Amino acid sequence: MMIPQFKYYKPKSLTELKHYLREFQNNSCILAGGTDIVPGFIQESSRFTLIKHLIDINFIDELKTISLADGFISIGSAVTFSEITKNELINKYFPLLAKAAQTVGSLQIRNRATVVGNFVNNAPCADSVPPLLVYDALIKIVSPENENIIPLSEFLLDPYETQLKKNECVTEIRIPILTKDYIGDFYKLGRRSAVSISRISLAFLLHKEEKIIKEFRLASGAITPIGKRFFEIERLFIGREINSETFKEISMKVGEEVLKTTGLRWSTVYKLPVVQQMLYQMLEINAGGIPR
Amino acid sequence: MENSFNIVGKPVIRQDGLEKVTGKAKFADDINEPGQLYGVMVRVPVVHAIIEKIDYSEILESSPNVVIVDSNDIKGSKKVGPIRQDQPIFAFDKIVTPGDVVAMLVGESEEELRELAKKVKVKYTELPALTDPLKALDSDSPKIHPQYENNLIVHYPLRKGDIEKGFKESDFIHGETYTTRLVEHAYIEPESVLAIPLEGEKGIRIIGSVQNPFTARKVVASALNLPLTKVRIVQADLGGSFGGKDDTMNILCARAAVAALKIGKPIKIHYTREESILESYKRHPYILKYKVGCKKNGKIVAMKIDILADGGAYSSMSPFVTWRSVVQATGPYEVENVWTDVRAVYTNNPYTGAMRGFGSPQPIFAQESIMDEIAIKLGFTPEEIRKINGFKAGSLTASGQKLENHDVNLLKVLETAVKETDFTSKWKQYGNKIIEAGYQPDKISEINEEQLILKKKDFIPPNEVMRKGIGLSVSYRGCSLGAEGIDAAAAYLSVQNDGSAYLLSGLAENGQGMKTTYTIITAEVLGISPLNVYYLETDTGLIPDSGPTVASRSTLMGGGAVKAASDIIRNRLEDFLRKEWKLKPQSEFIFRDGFVSNKANPQQKISFPDLCSLAYRNGICLAAIGWFKSPEVNWDEDTGQGSAYFTYVYGCQVAEVTVNMATGQVYIDKITAVHDPGKVINLLGAEGQVYGGVTQGAGYGLWEQITADNGNIRELNFDQYLIPTAKDLKEIKPIFVEGKDIYGAWGGKSLGEPTLELTSAAIANAIRNATGKRFYNLPINLEEVLLRRKLFPKDLKRGSA
Amino acid sequence: MIINFKVNGKNTSVELTKNKRLIDLLRDNLKLTGTKEGCSIGECGACTVIINGKAVNSCLMLAQQIDGCEILTVEGLAEGDKLNSLQQNFLKYGAIQCGFCTPGMLMSAYALFLENPTPSREEIETAIEGNLCRCTGYKPIIQAIVSTSKP
Repeated sequence: MMIPQFKYYKPKSLTELKHYLREFQNNSCILAGGTDIVPGFIQESSRFTLIKHLIDINFIDELKTISLADGFISIGSAVTFSEITKNELINKYFPLLAKAAQTVGSLQIRNRATVVGNFVNNAPCADSVPPLLVYDALIKIVSPENENIIPLSEFLLDPYETQLKKNECVTEIRIPILTKDYIGDFYKLGRRSAVSISRISLAFLLHKEEKIIKEFRLASGAITPIGKRFFEIERLFIGREINSETFKEISMKVGEEVLKTTGLRWSTVYKLPVVQQMLYQMLEINAGGIPR
Repeated sequence: MENSFNIVGKPVIRQDGLEKVTGKAKFADDINEPGQLYGVMVRVPVVHAIIEKIDYSEILESSPNVVIVDSNDIKGSKKVGPIRQDQPIFAFDKIVTPGDVVAMLVGESEEELRELAKKVKVKYTELPALTDPLKALDSDSPKIHPQYENNLIVHYPLRKGDIEKGFKESDFIHGETYTTRLVEHAYIEPESVLAIPLEGEKGIRIIGSVQNPFTARKVVASALNLPLTKVRIVQADLGGSFGGKDDTMNILCARAAVAALKIGKPIKIHYTREESILESYKRHPYILKYKVGCKKNGKIVAMKIDILADGGAYSSMSPFVTWRSVVQATGPYEVENVWTDVRAVYTNNPYTGAMRGFGSPQPIFAQESIMDEIAIKLGFTPEEIRKINGFKAGSLTASGQKLENHDVNLLKVLETAVKETDFTSKWKQYGNKIIEAGYQPDKISEINEEQLILKKKDFIPPNEVMRKGIGLSVSYRGCSLGAEGIDAAAAYLSVQNDGSAYLLSGLAENGQGMKTTYTIITAEVLGISPLNVYYLETDTGLIPDSGPTVASRSTLMGGGAVKAASDIIRNRLEDFLRKEWKLKPQSEFIFRDGFVSNKANPQQKISFPDLCSLAYRNGICLAAIGWFKSPEVNWDEDTGQGSAYFTYVYGCQVAEVTVNMATGQVYIDKITAVHDPGKVINLLGAEGQVYGGVTQGAGYGLWEQITADNGNIRELNFDQYLIPTAKDLKEIKPIFVEGKDIYGAWGGKSLGEPTLELTSAAIANAIRNATGKRFYNLPINLEEVLLRRKLFPKDLKRGSA
Repeated sequence: MIINFKVNGKNTSVELTKNKRLIDLLRDNLKLTGTKEGCSIGECGACTVIINGKAVNSCLMLAQQIDGCEILTVEGLAEGDKLNSLQQNFLKYGAIQCGFCTPGMLMSAYALFLENPTPSREEIETAIEGNLCRCTGYKPIIQAIVSTSKP
């Protein structure tokens, strides 16, 4: 099997990592889980076959932890999906992320693949993205000279493209802990019951007082070129009453917005009606109070 | 013995289980020979072209150690094939599918060779590609193989009774067209082979993932111009085949052998998954037109069937696959007037050949679907319509054969399944829903974008999204090869003078548990433990040609031969004991639990090991070859009448599903599979065939398709070609109804294919029950359920679904 | 580069002369051919091994990545001639047909037991969801694993 003859490095600290990033400015690639890179070699994807220096970040302790800090949870960039699904803090504070993590690939994949690697690769169907977007996640990007914290929504640009420069590495996700009570859910549609690429994924959070929507956050994956928050639609429905009519309108608006973004693609005639139906289902079942 | 089996029908641990569970079993890719070189294939990314020139100069310059092997190195037959020899071992005149291989590079580093393969320059003239089988017989369509008159591979007619009269007499006529797609065998082990040249002109020894060692031997011998005896094929442990490691594998053996003899070194080939899917043959896509005429009382009086099979780039097994279809296309129903035409045509699509079922799953999907439609239209239940028309003892099939000499258990398996699943009340209950006219996504046209935004009335209330459905299907299946060809099998049994025994059959273990079934048979006959029967390595040099391991014939034919061999040894031992103990000529014995006793006087007994030792010392030969030949079958090519198969098996499966009306997902809650395979010999093996066959059948019905974009396969690996996982079928329940039969070992017949061929039809009928809609095109995937169409990406990247 | 690791309880050192995947290291360098390659892209699970107690696809890891790790392959399950209870139950319940997916299945199941000696049926199905089998229809395998679960 064709594995390119890159040079392999195993930094043990962030300092060492920065050193390699500095040294191999334009010619390095970060290896976290490897579950996108290694098949990329096999399937001869040019994104991967030209790699000259591979920097393995799995031996840097700070990157392997999930910790509670000042009002936020920090997830290191070497943390795997399995670790996310089992972590008490994540399950308590960010259940949508835990739920999404459980649906990624197979158990073997989840034991290696990292959440950060998932959105840095930024496939249209990246499952970690919708929950992280509704949780307003921030990410920390480290370069030889700098450290920067930006919202994930700004970081993601296009399919398989992010703001990450060649000499940079994402080291951390920071998710602010929610201060109010939210109803929320994550939904993924795949072709079969396990190990499926997402055809549609959705995540939402809703905070209500009495029966009025006070706050609403909604994100999708796999239906637009990259995972997306629907900021305008969210604003539109603040102050609306929670009922079936509202949920249907939200779904229709999302349908319109997605269609505007993508135009007619090969899968639109299937996906567009389905995403509207499933968003409606999700809202109705979680927030509607209609008995199942 | 028939009534009190000691070992037959009981759970027995697999013969080859220990090595498989410890990782010690050697599959073809695990086997290496010192000094071996690797062979890597060179293909051309074009669908249909004339080859003008192959330029190896860049390789010859840069890598002089690399040896190039192509058609010029083949001394014997350059083209092979089971019926028509239209498939080149190395393509030299034409490319007719992207799977074609023009040359093989041989060298020390496989990785290097894969890079070098890209440097072979093939100059070709592209030809228009024929990808629509419906156009294959048009006069202006490209001819795939110019040596033949046209693109017709075969045409089978079947004429029974008077079809016009039948339709005139009908009160009700129903016609439908059904389609199925290419599917891939998806054995988890990709193809691999090792060819070792033997010293001193002794020929070649080949170890590989070979399903049919004798067929491989024939192909290799013909390519090398060697006598059969100089080609030894040894089957490594086979990681699944399902009919798929035949033609392609035989050609791989030939390529390896040619290279090995040319270079004088062992040659190893192993395929990546992508190569395997790209080059190996698939199941035939069928277009099936059924027109059924019946009376008000449910009796079918006429059936007109027109089937077109896409044979793809090479004929392979198309004549045999479609022959089974013409025999069985009406389904297990008494129909007085039948007019069937089955045709297979060449196209530039991936070539098609044998796959578990072999021309039966497609017609069963169509025929069982239309039976349910007729039932619904006439006001019968699915069970009632089949009871009215189904085969009974003495019934005549569509080819005019009388069903006799075995229990015709069609109605029995049907009744058992219906009772077990409480079918009728569920079917009525689920089918009684009022299907809202509101949300009709299959009326959405993609041209009008506005239609894609739902209206408020289109939203489905959560408690109406999931709909349950139940459906059933029945089949009958002709066992073994039928009038296709020579049908006989051999088994070699060599009992040692300590009572242990060597056993070998000419048929080959595909993983289904055949070796275990055979040791059970011998153990039962000789009254010993199966653990004392050692199954030898499958080697064409050690046993007579017994034909291919196909057609669910291993238990029936191979088992028959094993029993024959075991009976020979037993008879010799009995004759010996009669003399030894001075008993009457008719005296009977009991062979059980390692002892042999006089039935009339059980105190008189001897241990089996002692008996063997004694017999050996008295010059009795304890080895034998058993031979089992099928009874006469016949077929009239013009009328499609005759005794097609010498016996039959029957099955009924019930599918219980839940359909998600918002997404088109179909969840399989339970499949109840009731089969009459004759006598169940290997219980664990038989159950395994049900679980495995049903799962494959479900995949065929709901998820699996190989789609070709103008001849180029899209789904080249398991991320795109989706087979069922452990979570996809909730429950499977096997039930056996053991019908009696005069053939085989105690009437043990067939199970491997019957279990797969029924499932998709049962699921389709269950979906019909759940949704109120009939679906005509397999697989019934998400888009098919919602939109009645399949959708394809133009440009496929990983991560795009 | 020299990598040091433990495989099936044995301390091992391998000098890597070129980049390769873990599966190649196991099958080619160490001649542990029990681990199989079915698809090369982490979809079929035939290559599953256990690294530091977790089931992973060895076709998706680079050999360098196991430096300092403990690996268990199917060859390490039995103790000499004595099969472990999972293996015995695979034989007893007919969980093996062609046997090609078997090593991967055993590894996924064994890894589950390392974490949870009494998994539910659903947890068992999740543990093997990434192991494709074309022969057995999974039910006998699930039954074998269920039977191994200690009450």
